[in-house]
Amino acid sequence: MSDERERDTRSGAARLRGVLARTTRIARWEVFRSTGTVDRKTALVLVGLLLTVGIVGISVADEGLGLEDELYVMAVDEDSQYHDVAVESDSFRVIGLEDLEITDDGEDANADVVVTQRGQIGHVGPNGAVAYDAFRDAVKEYNERRLSQEANQTAAYPVLVDLEYRDRDLGGATADGSGTDTDESETGDDSTTDGNGGSETTDGTGDDSGTGTEDSSDDDGGTTDGTSGTGDGSLQVPDVGSGAVEDASGTPGSISPPFPFQSLLLAFLFVVPMNFVIQAYGSTIMDERIKRRGELLLVSPASSREIVAGKTLPYLAALVAIAVAITVAVGGGPLSVAAAIPIALLFLAATFVGAMLARSYKELTFVTVTISVFLTTYTFIPAVFTDVTPIALISPLTLIVMDLQGETVRLGEYLFSTGPFLASAGICFLLGLGVYREEDMFAQKAIPVKVIDALASRLHGYRSVPILSMLFIPFVFTAQLLAVALLFAVPETFALPMIFVLAAAIEEFAKSIHVYAGFARSKFESSLRIAVLLGVLSGVGFFVGEKLTHVAQFVGLPELTVGVAAFGPALSSDPLLLLALFFAPLVLHVVTAVISALGASRGQNAYAVAFVIATLVHAAYNLGVIALVA
Amino acid sequence: MAILEVDDLRKEYGGFTAVDGSSFAIERGEVFGVVGPNGAGKTTTLKMLAGLIEPTAGTAVVAGHTPGDPEMARRLGFLPEESPLYEEMTATDYLEFFADLYDVPRTVARDRIDRTLERLDLEHRDRRLGNMSKGMKRKVAIARALVNDPDVLIFDEPASGLDPLTTNYIIEFTQELSDEGKTIVFSAHNLFHVESVCDRIIIMNDGRIVARGTIDAIRKAHGGTEYHVYATVDAGNGAPIDDEFRHVVADMAGVESVRETVERDGGRITDIQTETPTLEDIFLEVASESRENSESRKNNEGRNGAERDGRDGDESGRSDSDEDTAEART
Repeated sequence: MSDERERDTRSGAARLRGVLARTTRIARWEVFRSTGTVDRKTALVLVGLLLTVGIVGISVADEGLGLEDELYVMAVDEDSQYHDVAVESDSFRVIGLEDLEITDDGEDANADVVVTQRGQIGHVGPNGAVAYDAFRDAVKEYNERRLSQEANQTAAYPVLVDLEYRDRDLGGATADGSGTDTDESETGDDSTTDGNGGSETTDGTGDDSGTGTEDSSDDDGGTTDGTSGTGDGSLQVPDVGSGAVEDASGTPGSISPPFPFQSLLLAFLFVVPMNFVIQAYGSTIMDERIKRRGELLLVSPASSREIVAGKTLPYLAALVAIAVAITVAVGGGPLSVAAAIPIALLFLAATFVGAMLARSYKELTFVTVTISVFLTTYTFIPAVFTDVTPIALISPLTLIVMDLQGETVRLGEYLFSTGPFLASAGICFLLGLGVYREEDMFAQKAIPVKVIDALASRLHGYRSVPILSMLFIPFVFTAQLLAVALLFAVPETFALPMIFVLAAAIEEFAKSIHVYAGFARSKFESSLRIAVLLGVLSGVGFFVGEKLTHVAQFVGLPELTVGVAAFGPALSSDPLLLLALFFAPLVLHVVTAVISALGASRGQNAYAVAFVIATLVHAAYNLGVIALVA
Repeated sequence: MAILEVDDLRKEYGGFTAVDGSSFAIERGEVFGVVGPNGAGKTTTLKMLAGLIEPTAGTAVVAGHTPGDPEMARRLGFLPEESPLYEEMTATDYLEFFADLYDVPRTVARDRIDRTLERLDLEHRDRRLGNMSKGMKRKVAIARALVNDPDVLIFDEPASGLDPLTTNYIIEFTQELSDEGKTIVFSAHNLFHVESVCDRIIIMNDGRIVARGTIDAIRKAHGGTEYHVYATVDAGNGAPIDDEFRHVVADMAGVESVRETVERDGGRITDIQTETPTLEDIFLEVASESRENSESRKNNEGRNGAERDGRDGDESGRSDSDEDTAEART
């Protein structure tokens, strides 16, 4: 018995070695082959171009674009108090008054702004007025700098405003005892100086603050008025990235919303190369198909999985290397790389499945552009709200922004953010592999037909149905997250009905499309009994998988009103209601999946009708449960 | 013992049946021809043998292995009708990559590649494939099919679209491979090539095998050699004997019978010619008969369709018809 086991282990290990060896060979060959498509001169030009872009990019990230450097000329004496202002400003080039040349009519000169020896400032020529405005700004900045360097800060800044960003109370839910301030409040400390700037008197009345709720929140033990971001059991959104507001205090002029512009810009650098790499990757997959080159690989001992893995690895490795290089350049940590890899994988996976479905290079271009736009938007837009709302965490780019801001990321947040990307990438590769075969690769089939083929290829008996329903959960989750993100800013009157129907439709689609594929490709007998059986299996599988979406609880997403509409309400504390609410979705999923399966067994049109009915039943259920819980 | 066995192989695409229950066996060292008109199911059959297409039903066993088994892939060399190459690679790099993929040790692979390219008279092996002529590319494709020293070779239209010189070269090379003991499944539209290299053939039409056996046996089954007996007969009225009649008979007994009749009537035999149908003649005849049978069957099915369950009836109808065809032709 043990000999047998040992033999099995050995043969298993040998098989694994074989798989790895073949995959590596194909990967090496892919690198070798694709480098052969570019001649040396072009390669050198490309490398030079990349280096230039990299250096310029880093320099721009570090120092800005510098478009206005020495844009204007200023004539001023070295003795003038404005001389230093002009010298320190990047926008001005300074010349001495003795070098000033003005035309006789006084209309033009070799300087835009002139400071006379008596201290009068004037402007000359067509750019004069604009230069004068720029100089005024430069004076302001100069003064700000000087004031900030002042030893006596109280003297420099007689009025200080402390900013504390508060969580928004969305949807009007009550917070028990906390969060009475629903707007962004500024807690002002009106300080009067005693000339030394040493002591502060807190009076809480400071009428010169002008705005905000005044509050004694300074070091004299003043109490807060419930402005803490962690409301006890309220529907307040937990604090995400609030620590990112680096300067919570400053001059009134420096007050700005918590927009992590620089980190966001740097994080975006991670996504840019992905858009280029997928073009090359999509082409290599397409070449295998359109030029029928892949046929000979398919008859080799390498399996389609090994071929795809081998062809994908070099591109993934390139993206990881680029992510590491960018991380080093922008000062990120390992988290940035760990967050970039799932994005890269999804870019590649979506491109792979797109290249497997496209019928021509023209279609491939459309597919890759769609993927670029969609995934870039999906990753970038939520990251804009890194410091505002937990919705931002639907994008792993948010993790990069947080990493660049020096914030810590919890494991739950990392999994929440990257899990759907990784799972979606896995499903995309799985579906693409389903059509990585002669019959689909080289045939000019319509995209929906290939999608059905891909799904049908994954059906091996009845047990595949619940498994596929479970595997589709990441897509469902991602699609629902996207719907929430898109409808986040829409007035609730419109957003809620839409999200009810959308969320239901997404789930019903995921529960039924593979069942339809099975019937359409004669994998299952088209009988009433089989349709009911498949519906039950799909419903149960989906129910089990759906429980995984409870990861959304970790980051407090369901506490948003639109989140509740998409993911369901928080469960009641009543045990009976709890039990009913736990099993009610099972009944729902089974019933609606059976409806769709019955339609699917009768053909395309019947499936469409059944799908609509199932969606409406599902949406009505969601509405009912929320009404019940409320 | 058969090195390749096919049993009731079937391939359906939606409602279309591309291959309908093919069964045959190929002995080791045999050159086996697969012929038929376009759309007959030849290429689909070959691709199922190569493991490229998954059969809807039936089995194919090559050297004891089934398609999808990596070991079967190692024992098989496949030359598809079109063999697009990685044009950015040189012939040597291309062949070495495939040798590597088939687990051929590097030194063995290099030696084998050198010898094969030499036999194929392929020069400029370090030239990029994209810069090679069509004939040279085809030779590289053949070399690739041989890089793993397979037991069974599947050649689908090996000389398609090539000039006569290269075509002859490839046909001769195929014969050489056969002499070396390779088992070859050979498909071509040029029936002269099939006739010159194949030991046995199957003729396919509409996804079915409509004839099988050695070329001589098939020829015999389809009329075989014909005897054309030319005779003149005295009309008996003093008219000049200038009318010539032709009698077509199947064998020498028929010839004797004609001779007796002619001589009894006072005539004489002027000439006897033998006419042997070419494979092309047989092919055209078989294809035409098959088409008529197919249309007749479809009409019958249409008439009977309302009376029986569509799917079951369809299958049983095909099965019966297939048996009839096999009996009549084999």
